[in-house]
Amino acid sequence: MASVTYRNVTKRWGDVTAVRNLSIEIPDGEFLVFVGPSGCGKSTSLRMLAGLEEITEGEILIGDRVVNNVAPKDRDIAMVFQSYALYPHMTVYDNMAFGLRLRRTPKQVIDERVREVAASLGIEQLLDRRPRQLSGGQRQRVAVGRAIVREPAVFLLDEPLSNLDAKLRVEARAFISKLHQRLGTTFIYVTHDQTEAMTMGQRIAVLRAGELMQIDSPSNLYDHPSNVFVAGFIGSPAMNFFDNVDLFEEGGKMWVDTGYFRLEVPEARYDLYRPHMGKQLTFGIRPEAISHPNYQPADIRPSLIEANVDVVELMGNEKIVYLEESGKTFLARFDPRADITVGQRTGAVFNMASMHLFDQETEQALQ
Amino acid sequence: MDIPFIPVLLISHLAATLIGGLGLRLLFASKNRDPQYGLMLGAGVGLVGGLAAVYLLWLSFAYLISTRTWKDIDAGVDPPLLTERTKRDIAKTFTVFFLVIPGMTVFFLFVLYPIIRAANYSFYDWKGFGDPTDYVKFANYEKLREHKVFRDTLSNSFKLMGLSLMVQLPLAMLLALLVGRGNLPGRRIFRFLLFVPYVFSEVIAAIIWMYVFHPTSGLANMTLDAILPSYTNIAFLGEKEYVLYAIFTVVTWKFFGFHLILYMAGLQGVPKDLEEAARVDGAAWWQVLGRVTMPLMASTIRLTVYLSVLGSFQQFVIVQVLTRGGDPYNTGHVITTYLYKYGLKHLRIGYGSAVAVLLFAMTLLFSLGYQRMLMRRDYQEAGR
Repeated sequence: MASVTYRNVTKRWGDVTAVRNLSIEIPDGEFLVFVGPSGCGKSTSLRMLAGLEEITEGEILIGDRVVNNVAPKDRDIAMVFQSYALYPHMTVYDNMAFGLRLRRTPKQVIDERVREVAASLGIEQLLDRRPRQLSGGQRQRVAVGRAIVREPAVFLLDEPLSNLDAKLRVEARAFISKLHQRLGTTFIYVTHDQTEAMTMGQRIAVLRAGELMQIDSPSNLYDHPSNVFVAGFIGSPAMNFFDNVDLFEEGGKMWVDTGYFRLEVPEARYDLYRPHMGKQLTFGIRPEAISHPNYQPADIRPSLIEANVDVVELMGNEKIVYLEESGKTFLARFDPRADITVGQRTGAVFNMASMHLFDQETEQALQ
Repeated sequence: MDIPFIPVLLISHLAATLIGGLGLRLLFASKNRDPQYGLMLGAGVGLVGGLAAVYLLWLSFAYLISTRTWKDIDAGVDPPLLTERTKRDIAKTFTVFFLVIPGMTVFFLFVLYPIIRAANYSFYDWKGFGDPTDYVKFANYEKLREHKVFRDTLSNSFKLMGLSLMVQLPLAMLLALLVGRGNLPGRRIFRFLLFVPYVFSEVIAAIIWMYVFHPTSGLANMTLDAILPSYTNIAFLGEKEYVLYAIFTVVTWKFFGFHLILYMAGLQGVPKDLEEAARVDGAAWWQVLGRVTMPLMASTIRLTVYLSVLGSFQQFVIVQVLTRGGDPYNTGHVITTYLYKYGLKHLRIGYGSAVAVLLFAMTLLFSLGYQRMLMRRDYQEAGR
């Protein structure tokens, strides 16, 4: 078991910077998720930690040891690959025993460990099979088993669920979370799927174009995104943004004018927002903070507007409604009982307590 | 019941053609007519007649396996002679069969027939003029066994094969690992340069190397001279101790590029993930190579060993040109150049045929055995 530290780590391929000045401290036993769109440097960050990519600048520590020049085999890590990377010419047993055999572990110990881990993952009946005889879910378990059988200090998982179908992915998510609870080892998990990140991570590091955008707990990322990118990336459907909003005070109250409608800012934010009046600002609000007037939550400060109903997607537990006003479309999550039809005009209540404002120039949140 | 109809059909057809051809040949010979004409006619009749015979057999067989049961017969029900399925099977079999005929005809005429003729000649003392009449049983083979030059030749061929497997293939693999992947600077240029010799004509390659091996002004001697001054003016192609290694050098130079390409293709089929997984699992580079990369290259290696063995037995042009047909003193022969000199140049066609039959038998046995035992799984996997 060990902590992991990225200290001003940069990775360049020629002129392209894949990771820029990344600094993160991951305490022992944490489940950290790297998330971001493809090409954001999340896999590269993980591969540098694994020793599969060289570090251009900065240093990476596992425990107290700088591992920049340590070979992968001596880093005491294990990795689960997106493709699972099971050795096709070996049985499941040999796949799992491979790392232990390389470390000259006594045969009997290997046998015990492999069987114990296989039993804990429910794959003991597959030990004599070859990878090609396994289903996707089974392969995924074997790949995880191969990693945990060695009892490494740090676990690296590079998009391990991407090749599974939707149903298996949900199961595997819970399976990996439980595994982390049981083992208590440091897990570092890379994914492009914000749902995976939110459901599994104790902390999430959001990356964009090689830069760390924000690192925080899932709920903080969700409630207090520090910039427009994180706000838009975390949460599905994504947050609604209105650019070039007007922030002003009138009649002792503070207002946001989106150009389409005018919304009242909660009093608690007055002091925070007052210095930014006159700047170019972006207003953000999540679809779940917009409700149908008949089904609005009891404890909110409502701000009522009207808009046209463009599209309605009934999800069963909710209705995703595409609202349109003067050419601007935004999404709302209505109660499924809300009686609306396409083309109709409807009222919509904004819960302004969960509004966000961003400086349009720096894209940073006002907070 | 599961009978492999197509092979059965082909074999019976082959048999009909052969029996027809050889039968008519004997008949024509006894009636003093041109036996060659008889052979052709008989083979043609066998080809067509065999087809008809097989068709009739098919019909009767189809009748036997038709769905008529004792109950039907008792009840006087007359089921269709051929069920739809049987008809479909027959149609399918014959379609395959007709499509195969042109290819098989060429194969019979230009491969099988000459082999049979050569096998036939090898029992005659025949100079190539007129019909072979001097039947000598196994005398040609016995002469072959007793000929010292042939024994040297055979040993040369096997040494060449051994060297190819032990030196040429590992060298090609090493270079494939260096230039086929990784980030060696200039590997594209190397890849190109290393493949160039394979593009050259074999004669050109041999002639270039004759200059290189020249005893006084050749590059090989000049280089050797610069490194070890006590070794000077070695006639690489003129001394029996060196000639085989000189041949091997040229053959390697000419052909390792081919194996290199195969290995590079094979290496591309080894997922990078697997090697990375092995590295993270704790393998040093040589363990990654030995336990992951090479096992995954096994089918490619099996293929190159196969091609290399056959290639070294069949090597002719380079050896013929380099040694001017077996120099020095008939110690520079391989089987094919021996065959050329003692069979064709000396016009002892019967004797040459014996050499050819031996070479054919060796390669065929190797080929069948190797494919059956080692390459079987590769084919199955390729077919998947």
